[in-house]
Parts: sequence; structure tokens; C-alpha cells
Amino acid sequence: MNETILTLEQRFGARLEAHRRDSLVFVSVPADRAAQAVAWLRDRGGFTHLVMISCVDWIERGTFRLLYLLSSPQERRDIGVYVDIPRDAPSMESIHHLWAGAKVYQRELREMFGIDFPGSPGVNDPMILEGWHDIPPMRRDFDTLAYAERTYYPREGRSTRDPAADTAERVYPTDEELRRGIADLARRTYPGGSKDGES
Amino acid sequence: MSTAARQTDPWYPVWAERPSFDLASGKYLKIWQGPQHPGVSGNMALELTVEGDIVRDCRAHVGYLHRGFEKLMERRKYMNCFPIVCRICVPEPDFNEHLFASAVEELAGIEIPERAKWIRTLTLELARIAFLTMGLGGQAGSFGLGTVGQWCIVHRDYVLDLFEELTGHRIYHMYIIPGGLRHDLTPGFAERTEAVLRKIEKLMDEVQKVLFDNAVIMSRTDGLGVIPRPWVDPYGIAGTNARAAGSSRDVRSDSPYLVYDDLDFAPIVGERSDAYGRSLLRKREILMSAGLIRRILSRIPDGPVRVKLPNPLHWKVPAGETFVRAESGRGEMGYFMVSDGTGFPRRVHVRGPSYTHAMALFEELVRGVSIADVAGLMASLQICPPEIER
Amino acid sequence: MNLRNLISPFYAWKRALEKPFTIRKPLVEREGPPLYRGFHTNDIELCIGCGSCEEICQNAAIDLRRVDGIEPKQGDSGLRPSIDYGRCCWCALCVDICPTASLGMSNRYNWISDDGEDWVFTPGVDDGGWNGDELGYRRAEGSWLLDPEAREMPVTGPDERRRTFDEYAGGYGPADAAAEATRCLECGLCVEACPTHMDVPGYIGAIREGDLDEGLRILYETNPFSESCGRVCTARCQDACALSQLGRPIMIRWLKRYITDSTLERRAAVIGDGSAVRPTGRSVAVVGAGPSGLTAAFYLSRFGHRVTVFERAEKAGGMLRAGIPDYRLPAGVLEREIAAIAGPLVELRCGVDVGRDVTVKALREEYDAVYLSVGAQEGSSMPIPGMDTPGVHIGVDLLARLALGERPDLGGEVAVIGGGNTAMDVCRSAVRLGSKRVRVLYRRTEAEMPAAVEEIEEAREEGVEFEFLTSPVGIAASRGRLVVTCQRMELGEPDASGRRRPVPVEGSEYDVSVDSCVMAVGQQVEGGFATAAGVKVTRWNTFEVDGDTLATDERGIWAGGDCQTGPDDAIKAVAAGKKAAWYINDYLGGRS
Repeated sequence: MNETILTLEQRFGARLEAHRRDSLVFVSVPADRAAQAVAWLRDRGGFTHLVMISCVDWIERGTFRLLYLLSSPQERRDIGVYVDIPRDAPSMESIHHLWAGAKVYQRELREMFGIDFPGSPGVNDPMILEGWHDIPPMRRDFDTLAYAERTYYPREGRSTRDPAADTAERVYPTDEELRRGIADLARRTYPGGSKDGES
Repeated sequence: MSTAARQTDPWYPVWAERPSFDLASGKYLKIWQGPQHPGVSGNMALELTVEGDIVRDCRAHVGYLHRGFEKLMERRKYMNCFPIVCRICVPEPDFNEHLFASAVEELAGIEIPERAKWIRTLTLELARIAFLTMGLGGQAGSFGLGTVGQWCIVHRDYVLDLFEELTGHRIYHMYIIPGGLRHDLTPGFAERTEAVLRKIEKLMDEVQKVLFDNAVIMSRTDGLGVIPRPWVDPYGIAGTNARAAGSSRDVRSDSPYLVYDDLDFAPIVGERSDAYGRSLLRKREILMSAGLIRRILSRIPDGPVRVKLPNPLHWKVPAGETFVRAESGRGEMGYFMVSDGTGFPRRVHVRGPSYTHAMALFEELVRGVSIADVAGLMASLQICPPEIER
Repeated sequence: MNLRNLISPFYAWKRALEKPFTIRKPLVEREGPPLYRGFHTNDIELCIGCGSCEEICQNAAIDLRRVDGIEPKQGDSGLRPSIDYGRCCWCALCVDICPTASLGMSNRYNWISDDGEDWVFTPGVDDGGWNGDELGYRRAEGSWLLDPEAREMPVTGPDERRRTFDEYAGGYGPADAAAEATRCLECGLCVEACPTHMDVPGYIGAIREGDLDEGLRILYETNPFSESCGRVCTARCQDACALSQLGRPIMIRWLKRYITDSTLERRAAVIGDGSAVRPTGRSVAVVGAGPSGLTAAFYLSRFGHRVTVFERAEKAGGMLRAGIPDYRLPAGVLEREIAAIAGPLVELRCGVDVGRDVTVKALREEYDAVYLSVGAQEGSSMPIPGMDTPGVHIGVDLLARLALGERPDLGGEVAVIGGGNTAMDVCRSAVRLGSKRVRVLYRRTEAEMPAAVEEIEEAREEGVEFEFLTSPVGIAASRGRLVVTCQRMELGEPDASGRRRPVPVEGSEYDVSVDSCVMAVGQQVEGGFATAAGVKVTRWNTFEVDGDTLATDERGIWAGGDCQTGPDDAIKAVAAGKKAAWYINDYLGGRS
């Protein structure tokens, strides 16, 4: 495995990201050389089995992190190749010619994350969703709860109570009012509270 | 007619081009098989372009079982995710539970007790028997041999009775959780399991006579969906589909997990790579699983079945990523999990073996198959749509 | 393919001679196995309405509802879970987490109804007939998702600690605090139990997040004596804690201490001194610089009122200083807390005896409002002959002297009369003062002792002896020592407090020979103060006030703390001070 990583570093500018087990490492490769790195791994590295093409949305960093997970049946090893692409213009060179299943993964990523793989057969065909008009749903900025509340109607007649708040309301309502009032007062008068601490 | 004759290099990307058909010419007809069709395993639609009786092209449509589990898991704490993962594959939920649990355990650095490992292996092998038995029944039913189909479903029901007693539910077991198992074996479980295994072995004798020695089945499955050995890597084929083609690939021996290296596991490699050969291989694997279960039951060590984990409401898993795999009834199933140090998984990506079997491989194999045999081909590939779209 | 293959399928016909697989539809429902996860059951007597089932449910299927006929009480919110079977996935995580194990599942799985609303139901209240079922899923031993064990507080061993007045409890480190804070469910049952309703889930959450400054801010929202309470509070919150049902409660008191201990240097920066507050121009006099009076001073000054606190003793702190020995509450703690309360609007005048040096009436004229918090500091004595014999001490007076730094010699053998926390403080102090044999004489049995269990245990570890069912009837001097004549007791009928009253056993007198005898049999409000102040008192000599606002019948005068309730714990005094500040501020026109 070490020779593989060394070659990846030298020829494709890879960087070791994580060593999970002796049989599983993750490296990251710049986007412009990733497809060649994957092809090299298949043809020369012995990683002839494509396990999956996945993606993690690191919205706080502004990137999609693609993962090409390859496996070597001979050596019983896996290598995960990370490729970072920008979130606002997500596009990646297609590797559909390397494996038959790659076009399926790429089609799903196009639909779920909005990542384009130009030239991949059928990449723009909807695969999992039908009649979808919202943003690609696996993106972190797609809020499933908000979508469900917008689209579906809730079951009527459900309501819940918080134990502490409910007990305060039933057992000590006036004390609760003064507790809240004093707590607000204290907050206002801490350094960094309102300017003159006035109620 | 085998499509292997079309090229000599298995890596030649013949899958990148799709032949086009002039539908206006009247020579071709487009018909839909599915999504609700007894000849389709699960919910999946096959858009077939046929010329007379022969399929010339197929587009597989998935998505009827998309429940968005991977996205839902990003909003749920780790312990809240395990009720969801079992629903990703309906016939064999335990593999999902085990893979999710072992991915979390690896990220969090948790070691589960020995007894838990053995019982998990037992559960997985029982799930495999339940699935493969149903698969044999599905294969028989796809050719109209309903009798064997009914027999197999009944025997799967006996296994489900065992699961109901052990885990509390028949289908969605929710038994394997991060940290071990929810509770121990019930008293007398070994005896009842042995009784069910004997029934299944007796069934396999009958299935041999009624299904495999059956002239009609033999002629219909002969040469149906031949997978040449060199196709295994280009098409990402796994499981019995690959082993029937001559590959010895099996996660249980290639990357042993749980207690498989203690059990001296060796995969069975088949001789025939058509639908008949795959089904026969599955029958042999059912018998092998029965043997494995007997060996496991005689060797389970004593001890606890669970380690104590922190309060699930506040449990945070250290940041990192991992990939874990297991050999399900259909082949290599894997979970890619990324955690970011919070109490919620960052990303869980489930890789089901049917992903490549149903889309890339099936669309290639079905060319030249008659309409009547499409169901049989699909059943022989053991396609399980829920794990494709999750 | 040959003839055999054409005939072979007919082998299936042998099934005609065998028993069919199918079974006749049974007249009764096929019973689910013992561990089946069927419909929910709930023992609503055991359930405490903590809501952890609602928290853990992965599909938001559970709501907490009020139930007719179930009222909230300490440790029970009175709410009960209702489950929406349209969303439930029957994973039984709710059963696995339940702190009382009241929630379970039966093995019933058939429910037919033509009204879909039936399937949002409250188990135990809406009973479909399975609530009492024995069979069904119950969590296995060791499967409870919560941790019944608590992180123990490191304490000095008895042999070492009995020689010194240094603090013996060590305090949590960060790992223990984080682990203990992780046990918390955030149910909030503790909030009602606390007399001043501290936001316990809030500050425990702050420890988990690692934001101790925020934790400190939360503490000061309700209690400026958190550092003291973190050591000596009676911790009713822990009695109400959901985890105390089947395990140890969350060690809330030690977690509170962890926050204050870890933020000592930052306290002034985080809490400030209220110097940005705009003064209202009103003034308040507080009589008694104990926890009640100083809490009132703190919040009143934050409202912007000028507060002058009058204290008779040389040092402020009230019973926290004078009544609790250093080994439980070091003096440094009080110094820091009093310093945090001080600010531009707070003046502390020690050594001023209100009632003698200045009257309450005079204060009422000079200030816009007066808060009386003089406590119940007079130690009770027993109506037996010989109380004024030299060598006989009153417990609270002795503790007050110790607080001033005195280390009186009580002699080799000491008898302590009483069974409350004061008696424990006295007897453990006597050990530390060097007495070789310290005996506690109590008129009931150990089960009826009002002292905290840990105090009794630790006193025993330090060598204190206990004699039960005995009470002194007379004390006399004899050859430089004391002879305490005691009489044996037996337990009779329950008295007003619910405890069985001690009944003297005729003719059972015996003598105990000691060097000192300390009475720790109770405290009371000092007589005369109230009358001089013109404030009504109850028949127990405590100040009479409006229960909601703490106002006395004298306009402009409030009273709270021990002097109003009778002797009680510090946290109740803090709550009273906070309440008084609120209503005094109201009276002074602070809220429009």
C-alpha cells in the first residue's frame, strides 16, 4: 500500500488524509488529476473493483468532497480517493468509461447533489426522484423538516408539553414569573448585557 | 445469445453507448414490466423495448422505494438511526443493522463482547437463509412453478418465527445495535433453530427434485443470463452472481468480519454461470449456512452481549470516516460513514449489491432475452430494489 | 435432460400424503412470543412524566399530555406519554431509556378500529385491554440506556480528615464532571424541587458544552450563593432527579461546585459588579447579612436600588458562616461570594446591632424599604436542671465561635445531644478539636434522625459513637467534670411531625460522665426583635408575612429566610431573598 500512496503523491499530487486500517486508507487528489489517478489505480494499482462513488457535503467549507472507493480483490485492500470540488460550480470529469456501474453512481450524484459529470450517459435522467422541483435534496442546505411541513399536513390534535414548564405553570405560576423576571434582570446586568442594564 | 461475443476486452466500455431504436418503424414495441408486477422482485420498473418476443433494450427505473434514509440519518442521533437502517433492505435487515453498528463502533473505538460477535454471526446467517430460501422460491415462481414458491415462503416463515422469538419482530428486527445486541438468546433457541434447519434441509432435497431436476426449468434457465467471468470487475458483480461465474470472491473469506475467521470459512465457487447455475449455487449456500449455524451454536462463548455506552441523548462520536462491508445474500454490502465529532452522523452512504446488478448488469444481460424469461433473469440476479435507492 | 427430468417434478405429489404447512385459522389470535414488541403499556403510577421517551423517539411519535386526576408533585410532572401509532416504528427505544421502567410493550399486535384517532393513545390511561399484560418486551438486564452509577466525589479518608478543619471533599475534575453531566436527561423535574427553581438542566448542559462561563451566568440568575450551595445544599433536586428512581441521581450539587470552582478567577469578569446599572435613586435597608439578606441585596442592587446591609456580627454570612464548620464550607468560599455581591450600590455594615444600635423604625424612615432577614440563630436549650453548669454549651453558639477561629478545648469526652445536621456539625467538630470520645445522644432511633445520611455515615467513620433512644434529664458538675443523667426512651405514637414520639421508660435513668455537653436540639428566632420592629409574629415566634410576596403587615417592611419559616436550609433562604427583591422592586415602582 505504501508504494501505491507514494506513487499517487508523486504523480497525481495526492495527500494522505486518513489511515483507518492497514487495509483502508483515504487520500485526497486535486480535481484536475483525480480521474487519471482513479484510472491509474484501476489499471496499474490493482484496484479493479469500484465499490462506490459517494459525496459528502462540507457546506461550511464550501466544497463537495467526492469519494471514489476502490478495492483490490487480489490484495484485499481498499483505497478511498477524495476529490474536493467547489459547491457553487460542482462539476467533475466523468469516469463512466472505466466501470459499467460508474454511470449509475454519477447519475445519482447529479440528482441528489447537483454535481455534473459531463458526458456520462443518462446523467441528467432522473433516477430516484420523480417530478422534483426543489434543490438537490442531499445538500446540507435542504431542510427535510421544513420541506415536510410545507408539503404535507400534520396529524391534527397532537400537542406536547415540556415537564419543567408545565409544572411551573400548574404548581408555581407566580414564582415562575418572578424567576424569569429576575433571570432576565441578571442577564441584562452581566458585562456584555444591555447598555445601562435598565429594565 | 451471449453478448460476450461482441467484444474481446471485458473492460471495453460497451455500456457507454446505447443503441437507438426507431419506434415509429413499427418493428419495436415499448412495454413496461413493473413497478407492480409479480415478475419483478420488489418495486422496480423495466422499460423494455421489444422486437416481437425478444427484448432489445431495457431501461431500469428505480426510485419507487426511496425513503430518504441517508438524509434522515443526518438529523438523528446515532442511537436513533438503528431503527431506520434495517428498513433499507427488507428481506435481510440484519446486515444493515450490523454494518451500521460496526461502522459506529469502529469510529467510536468500541469493542463488543465475544458472545455478541457470535450471536451477530448467527443472526446474519439466519437472515441469509431466510433470504436465499425466498430467492429460490422467487426463481421458481418466475417460471410459473408456484408450488416451490409456496414451499420456500413457508420455510422462510419458520425462520421468521425464530426471529420473532429472538428479536421481538419478524421483519425489522432492530436487534443488533451499536455496543452489541439488545438482549441475549432466549432459552431453547438452539433446539428450535435446529428443528428449523432440519426442515430446510429436507426442503432442499425436495427442491432439488422438483426444481433443479425439472425438465422445464432446466430448459428455460439453460444459458439464461450468462455472466462471463471477466465481467465481474467491470460490472461490479458480487455475491452468488460472481461466484457462479467462477470468481471466489466472498467478503467472509476475503475480509473476515465478526467470527468468520474462527469458522474456517471457504466460499463455494459454482460451475455454471447461467440462471440455473446461480440458483443451484444458492441452494448449496443455504446448506452451507445451515452448517455454519450449527457450528456457531455449538461454540458460542458465555458472557455479556452488550457494552455500556454513554447516554444516547448526548453521545458524540469522534470525527473520522470508515467503510465496512459484509457479505449479504446478494453480495458485497458496504456502509461508508463519516462523523464530524457531533452527536449526528455527517454522512451515511449505503452501498447495496443490487446497485450495479440491477442497473448496469441487468440492462446488458437482458438484451436478446425473451419477454417470458425477463422475470426469471431478474430473479436469478437476486435484485433487491430498496437497497438501490434507500 | 432425460426422462427422469420429466418425471422428477411429480415428486411434489407426495405432499398430498403429508400434513399441510398451512394451519387452520385459530379461533384465538396467534400469540406473540414473550419478547414481542407489541402495543405499549405504561404503569402510570410508576411513570414520572420525565419525557425521556419523547426525547429518544426517533420519529417524534410521542407527546406528553396532561391526564385528568394526575397532579404534579415532587419528582413527577403529572404528564404522561401519548404515542401516535401512525409514526411509531416499534423500536422500543422508549422502553430502553425509561428511568422508572414503567413503559413496556405487550405482545399484542392486533388492533382493529373504525376511528383512526384511536391510534393516538395514552398507554395506561387509554387501555385496549393489554395494559396489565405480563408478556411482551421489557428491557433486558444491562440494557438500560442510562447509567445508574454516579461519579463519586473524591474525599479524604476518615483518619486524615478527623485531625483537621480543612475541607475534605475534593471536587470533580473535568473528566468526571463531563461524564456526570452526560448522564443527565434534561427532563427538568429537578427545577420544581429547587426552592429557587435554578435552571439545573441549563447549567448541566453548559458543562457538557464546555462553556463554564455560561454555566456561571445561569447559576447567578437564581442563586448568588452557588459556590456554597455546591458544597452544603440539601439538594432536593437530587431527590427529584429522574435517575434516582432506579439508580443514583445526577450529582447536581457537585456539578454546581465544578462550575464555581472552575471559574473562580473569571467570576468578576463574567458576573460583573452591576456598575453599568443606572441607579433608581431608591434605597433599601437589609437587616442580616445571611444568605437571604445578601441575595436580596444582590438582586435589588441589580435593579438599580441602593442597598445597605446591616450585620450584627463582625463578619457577614449568617448561618452559612456561623453554623457550618470549615471542613464542610471553607471560609474562603463565603468571602468570594460576598465579594461578588458587593458593588457600587451595595454597602455592607458589620458590627451594627439593629434593634439596639439603630431601630427598625428609624431604618424605615431613612430608607424606602426594609427587608428583615435576621435568621433563627438562637440555639434552643433543654428545660432540665443544670443547663448553666460550666461545660454545657449550646451547639450554634459553639459553631459560631469556631467560625471566628476559636478552638476551645472541650476535654477528652464530649456528649452531643440532638439528631439534626447541627448535632453532626458539632460532634465532627468536637473530633477535630481533639476530644477522644464523642458521643451523640438522640432520643429517637437512627431512622428518625433528621440529619443527612452522609453526615451520619461520615461522623461514624470519624469515630463518633451514637446512642439512640436516650435523653438527658439533668446535668450536674462533679469533680471538674459533668455528670449527665439520661433516661432511656421508647417509641410511642406518632406526633405532629409524623415521627413516633419518644416515651420515657420509668426508672431507666443512668449517668454519663463527660467533660463537655453540647445541646444541638434546635434553633429559634430571637425573641423581642419582631415586637421592637412592630412586626407581627406567629405563635412559633417567626415573622408573619403574606405568603406570596413576603410583605409584613407593616407597609414597606418585608421579612424572609429562617426568621420567617423557622430554621431551614440555605437554599430556601436564597429563594426568599430573591422573592423579596422582586416584590420590593415592584413596590418601589421598578416595573411599570
